[in-house]
Amino acid sequence: MAKKIVITNEIRKFRFFANEMTQQQLAEKVGVSRQTIISIEAGKYSPSLELAFRIAVAFEVKINEIFDIEVKGD
Amino acid sequence: MSYQEKRTIVSIISGLIILSAYSLYTYGKYKSGVVIEGDLKFWAGAMLLFIAIGIVSTIIIQIVFHILLSVTIAVKAKVNNEDCDDKEIEKSIQSEMVTDEMDKLIELKSSMVGFIVAGIGFVLALLLIFLDYSAVVMINVMFASFSLGSLFEGFTQLYFYRRGIKHG
Repeated sequence: MAKKIVITNEIRKFRFFANEMTQQQLAEKVGVSRQTIISIEAGKYSPSLELAFRIAVAFEVKINEIFDIEVKGD
Repeated sequence: MSYQEKRTIVSIISGLIILSAYSLYTYGKYKSGVVIEGDLKFWAGAMLLFIAIGIVSTIIIQIVFHILLSVTIAVKAKVNNEDCDDKEIEKSIQSEMVTDEMDKLIELKSSMVGFIVAGIGFVLALLLIFLDYSAVVMINVMFASFSLGSLFEGFTQLYFYRRGIKHG
């Protein structure tokens, strides 16, 4: 059986270091709604690969610096 | 509360109003004795009438909702920044009302719930005919199940916006 993974992210941290970029500003940069950014930050929604790359591009970092995974169980 | 949640609540409320209006109209006619037992033409006519009313009222309600929301966003933008011009206001309105991949996923999953409810109602309606209930009962169960399916779709959307959604 496939192991359960949880996708975590550091968007809040990167927003802080990007001169306290607001969720609305990030949403506009990557072309989604503020609601979606809120859900991603809270871990309630896992973005598509394309959106994850868009977020990484918005912060000018590599995707694995923002997104990581936690493997649950054996 | 986000734009998506507000839009969903407006849809649910308009759906509930239409369903209640249909129930009150048909129950009133049935109670007053205007409708003869097993008059399928009356029921079909009433359902067609309320489907038409439902479509027209949904369009009008959504237009009014979007106008009011746009005005609210414009006023908020002006209050926060008096120097903002029309282009900035338009940009705020567009960014507030954007539909993205999460909305599409929520729409897909909630419509599946709606179809399941409608499907169960359809099977139940067939079962009622099999159990010798009248055709009037059958078409009312079908009408109710499609209406409930639409309402369930709305409630599921609200649930996903609140609790989050996962792929797969």
